[in-house]
Amino acid sequence: MSARVFVGTAKGAFLLTSDHSRQDWTIEGPLFPGWKVTSATRTPRGTFLAGTGSFVYGATLHQSDDLKNWKQIEGGPSYSKESGRAIKEIWTIDATEERTLVGVDEAGLFLGDAEAKSWKPLGGLNDHPTREAWQPGFGGLCAHSIVRDPNNTERLWCGISAVGVFRSDDGGESWRPKNVGIPVILEDKVHKEVGFCVHGLAIDPDDGNMLYRQDHLGMFRSRDAGDTWERNEEGLPSGFGFPIALDRTTRHLFAVPLKSDEYRFPADGHFRVYRSRDRGDTWEPLANGLPSEHCYAGVLRGALAVDHLDPCGVYVGTTSGSVHLSGDGGDSWRTLPCTLPRILCVEAFAD
Amino acid sequence: MPTVTFELPSLLSIAIGEESEVPVEAETLAEAFEVLVTRRPTLQIHLFDESGDLRPHILCLHNDQNVRWLTGLDVPVAPGDVITIHQAVSGG
Repeated sequence: MSARVFVGTAKGAFLLTSDHSRQDWTIEGPLFPGWKVTSATRTPRGTFLAGTGSFVYGATLHQSDDLKNWKQIEGGPSYSKESGRAIKEIWTIDATEERTLVGVDEAGLFLGDAEAKSWKPLGGLNDHPTREAWQPGFGGLCAHSIVRDPNNTERLWCGISAVGVFRSDDGGESWRPKNVGIPVILEDKVHKEVGFCVHGLAIDPDDGNMLYRQDHLGMFRSRDAGDTWERNEEGLPSGFGFPIALDRTTRHLFAVPLKSDEYRFPADGHFRVYRSRDRGDTWEPLANGLPSEHCYAGVLRGALAVDHLDPCGVYVGTTSGSVHLSGDGGDSWRTLPCTLPRILCVEAFAD
Repeated sequence: MPTVTFELPSLLSIAIGEESEVPVEAETLAEAFEVLVTRRPTLQIHLFDESGDLRPHILCLHNDQNVRWLTGLDVPVAPGDVITIHQAVSGG
């Protein structure tokens, strides 16, 4: 049994490999040298997909069987000329047996077939009636999160910054904003149902009503599929942060709060991951082995992952290029001996 | 028909492997690009934006001339011409 961690950075990707003990790691790369590597996933068929981008040469999707040898997919997702929009980055990829879905900047979703070869825009979201009120966050106007209902293939959610969460109950044809209970951050004069800055989403692996949301303005939970949200921050030093991840085995949640949106670094220079073992009711700091002082690295929304082994591995990549990892569910941590470019995404794959 | 050569930056190796030069036969610059992306379709998205225009931060030289200084790409090419792609990013 092995664990592989794909680390996407501002200047390429790196592949970390270990056995089940997750004690000793090999580091390979850079893959895609010079390119932003913004997203990755494994499809149910076992192939891997990665999103890359360049300020000069645009954003594209790539496919691999082993995470090392990649081939660009011809004719990936693209806005039409008439839309007046451009794909600047591929922020998230979600794959099922039947289809592939990507979320992009400029914000939108594109639906591809299972082989990720033919694509169409999801007009129900991309041309939503509220679109005229959509405003970008600091990271751009990006559709960065997709989660699926484990029991209902027709229901899924999409998080867009700084617009909010949308839910579809018909497989992506139509979408409704789902942000009741969340403080608005960019209030529109007309479209009051958007203007919310979701940073990260997670869903319970069995209960499609139970959603978790790291928002710009706090940590939230929904017990009714996103119809309403409640704040759940007990134990957190700050409601501000970007990623949230959930271990499917234990249902433990992981987050990395930062000191407010003005500063965006760990409070007091003390890097800590936070864990909730009670579905978000309370949070505890995890600091054993993490930098305890002089650490001012942030963690971006895609840069936290769990491998779902037992006990689960937890992986955090920082804006300063450090990789912190735990092989025991977050109880203890170590930092890999590398300094990578700014880390944009981390994905963990266990075999 | 004249044979001209595209010189491509190493960053585009993710699209076409280690190939850095691609010769094509064409009568004009526009035709040369058309042949290039037909033969190497993964380059299409890197060179052209959604409007079909050359991406704004690409610097393309036809021999020594910046193609943006031309009135268009319907410019005749001659045997041995070189079309070079650079990234037009400067400063810090």
